[in-house]
Amino acid sequence: MPAGTDLARDLAAIVGDGHVRVDEGALAAYARDATPLFTARPQAVVLPASTEEVAAVLRYATARGIPVVPRGAGSNLCAGTVPLEGGIVLVLTRLDKLLEISPEELLARAQTGVTTAALADAAAAKRLLYAPDPGSRTVSTVGGNVATCAGGLRGLKYGVTRNYVLGLEAVLPTGEIIRTGGRLWKDVAGYDLTRLLTGSEGTLAVITEATVALLPAPQDTGTGVAYFDSLADASRAVAAVIAAGIVPATLEFLDRKCITAVEEYAGLGLRGDAGALLIFGDDGSPATVSGNLARIQEVCAQTGALEVTLAENVARADALLAARRCSLPALSRLGSLTILEDATVPRHRMAEMVDRIDEIADRYGLRIATFGHAGDGNLHPTCVLDPDDADGAGRAHEAFAEIFAAAIAFDGTITGEHGVGAAKLPYLTDRLGEDQMALLRRIKRAFDPAGILNPGKLGS
Amino acid sequence: MTDHPIVDPTGHTPAPAPAPPGPGLGIFDKELLDRCISCGFCLPACPTYALTGEETSSPRGRITLMRALEAGDLAPDDPTLAEESSFCLGCRACETVCPAGVEYGQLLEQWRDHQWSGPNRPWIARALMALVSRPGLLRLQGLVRRHARGTAKATPSTATPAESVPAQSTPPATAGPDPAETPADDSSGQLSAGQQVSLMLGCVERGLYPGVSRAAQQLCPEITVPTRQGCCGALHAHNGDSKTGAELARTLGEQLPGTILTTAGGCAAHLAHHLGRDRVRELSEYLDAKGHQTVGQVTVNGRRARAALQDSCHLRNGLGVTRPPRELIAAVADYVELPSAGKCCGAAGTYAMLRPEDSKKVLEPKLDEAEEADVDYVVTVNPGCLRQVQQGLRSRRSRAKAIHLAEFLALAARSAPEVPPSGNPAQR
Repeated sequence: MPAGTDLARDLAAIVGDGHVRVDEGALAAYARDATPLFTARPQAVVLPASTEEVAAVLRYATARGIPVVPRGAGSNLCAGTVPLEGGIVLVLTRLDKLLEISPEELLARAQTGVTTAALADAAAAKRLLYAPDPGSRTVSTVGGNVATCAGGLRGLKYGVTRNYVLGLEAVLPTGEIIRTGGRLWKDVAGYDLTRLLTGSEGTLAVITEATVALLPAPQDTGTGVAYFDSLADASRAVAAVIAAGIVPATLEFLDRKCITAVEEYAGLGLRGDAGALLIFGDDGSPATVSGNLARIQEVCAQTGALEVTLAENVARADALLAARRCSLPALSRLGSLTILEDATVPRHRMAEMVDRIDEIADRYGLRIATFGHAGDGNLHPTCVLDPDDADGAGRAHEAFAEIFAAAIAFDGTITGEHGVGAAKLPYLTDRLGEDQMALLRRIKRAFDPAGILNPGKLGS
Repeated sequence: MTDHPIVDPTGHTPAPAPAPPGPGLGIFDKELLDRCISCGFCLPACPTYALTGEETSSPRGRITLMRALEAGDLAPDDPTLAEESSFCLGCRACETVCPAGVEYGQLLEQWRDHQWSGPNRPWIARALMALVSRPGLLRLQGLVRRHARGTAKATPSTATPAESVPAQSTPPATAGPDPAETPADDSSGQLSAGQQVSLMLGCVERGLYPGVSRAAQQLCPEITVPTRQGCCGALHAHNGDSKTGAELARTLGEQLPGTILTTAGGCAAHLAHHLGRDRVRELSEYLDAKGHQTVGQVTVNGRRARAALQDSCHLRNGLGVTRPPRELIAAVADYVELPSAGKCCGAAGTYAMLRPEDSKKVLEPKLDEAEEADVDYVVTVNPGCLRQVQQGLRSRRSRAKAIHLAEFLALAARSAPEVPPSGNPAQR
């Protein structure tokens, strides 16, 4: 690899002087993302302004075997953008143009660095819905969402990012600019590279632009909450709701530990005697929403809910949703080293899985509370530790290894929406098996013969 | 190549626990620094991140820098540390979106205590701190006032000349109903009836905008104005001397009996931090809490004026006061919410003087908005914001004028018919 000054000079020749950082401070700032416990400094940080500049940086890096780690807002939770092997962090936030919103074609086209919220807001202004709504949407970028196949609160009814990506512009590590898919809902010409790149976590190509599907915005939304004795009861209610032919837009749950933590933190007046809190919601025409919410209320009551409340207006709905929004802040107050995971199981095994998480946490003497998406079985077991408790971090590590194994044993997965990155690569073979792992590596080599793109992650 | 190779990328070895952090240099309060979970939710709230798009100039990135400084991973004299501690506006917008409750403003004070200690402090900041620490010198400010305001013209609403300490006159009374009967405002408790309220004159405001204090007295004839009072210390705290900043706040707390009323959002937040929230009221929240009935309206060319608010960052982000100033403006004019009303105007204490170029970049979009919305006034609740917006609007010869809320309300009251001397509308 060229020495720091040469590297800076060469990269500046591509992107311009003001857009290369090699100062120690910048290298420290880009040494991490939102994942605790993973840090590694790059040699340079580069902020290109165009697809062509991205291609030139990649050609340069491939020729010299320099690792390149693509990065959007750095909000990911699996150390997917930590430059484990050093090299160049390729920051894509300057590619921030929203290129089009088409109500006629029901699609949007955005450069990779546009924030998801900016895209969703622009669509909403034309009464359209960009459905994927990861919790980080005000921060995270369209490119980052595609690269991690970001999920969100509406997964059951609306699916996740992959269900909305129609086409991509991407740069191969060898510098070729490709366009996959396009403005079509039907297109079977060739392998589905759009889907392959979606969730590829910056290991195959650098996504520079995305074309995504939009939906007509729902006219109305409604929200309610139900308390249950146990998460098992809440799970039965969820199953009964879906069996009744309703697919709610929102089905979020808090376990007993989350309820306690949220109540201690925010004093929202949550019931202290409940073992589970279920927040449900739907959208659509006003008649559909009120009909579905009434039916959900009825089904919850029949399946033994302690109490069911429907929000009479938007302000009240916001107040109900506050409990879910407060979960992470409330838990992080208990210990600022917050390890947020996302083991996922089939919906009907959720209660068993949370029991298992509790058992594992007790055995390791850890504080792990669980909230998540009851509609799609995507759990967020969250471990809170004192940052100085090195022994605690070690125990948390072992506990999560058991939690991931349990998820796989329940026909689930090690990550539902956060990604594999560096944090969950050690568990990936358990999920995929040796044959698929070998195939992943061959795919990686086909895209990236020099092995420069995000090394130490998927396909390594 | 890596700092802490946590995961062996080639193998299946689970990540070992990280090495326990060292004791640290003691620059920062460890509890405060540990709070950040690095989620990045602060990025879209940060005006300097909006300018650069670079992690180093985001709140999360700056906390990563602070941690590297504290841990000895960056040299104490690292140039990026110096630059970023100075580039930060200190607006604390990040605190309002932080899910983990990071007290960024406190961390910044501690950071600047380190970065700007002794000779490293910018000379402008040093000069200003020296000036406001000596009450005698404050009067001299009046002499340089016109120059500092960047104009030879007087503000539109202050027709009368300034005195160093306004006399206690009894202008038309506009007091509202018993404060005990009024609802609490968004952030603070109620005022107990009959409690003494002392007006803080403010070291910057006293010199540059004496009309503001006078207008506050017209609006609140019940308040007292102790003549012996110094600086609140916010200037010191934000410029690398938080120790003196705290001492000055405590001293002022002793000089001003009862509730301290201030017309400066920045001073309110600093005083509240050191003296307790209950001791301090910013003017708009005070008027709101006592159920102040506005009088008259502000007109331009015979029609009701269109007026926007520029929030004071520390009033909004530090104390959570946003509703009262808007309602007060709306009571005497047609209120227009500018899209960036809640975002920093770039004044940021000494920032506009220390980093004029960056300050201007932060301000410009706001001026565009004010012109696009075709407002007559941009109302401010802090003298620094007033100076910043006023200079910005004047330099582009904008039709809109900047004015402090106190003067704006007083201007409205002057348009109203005379109230009989004994009259208190609320009691009739």
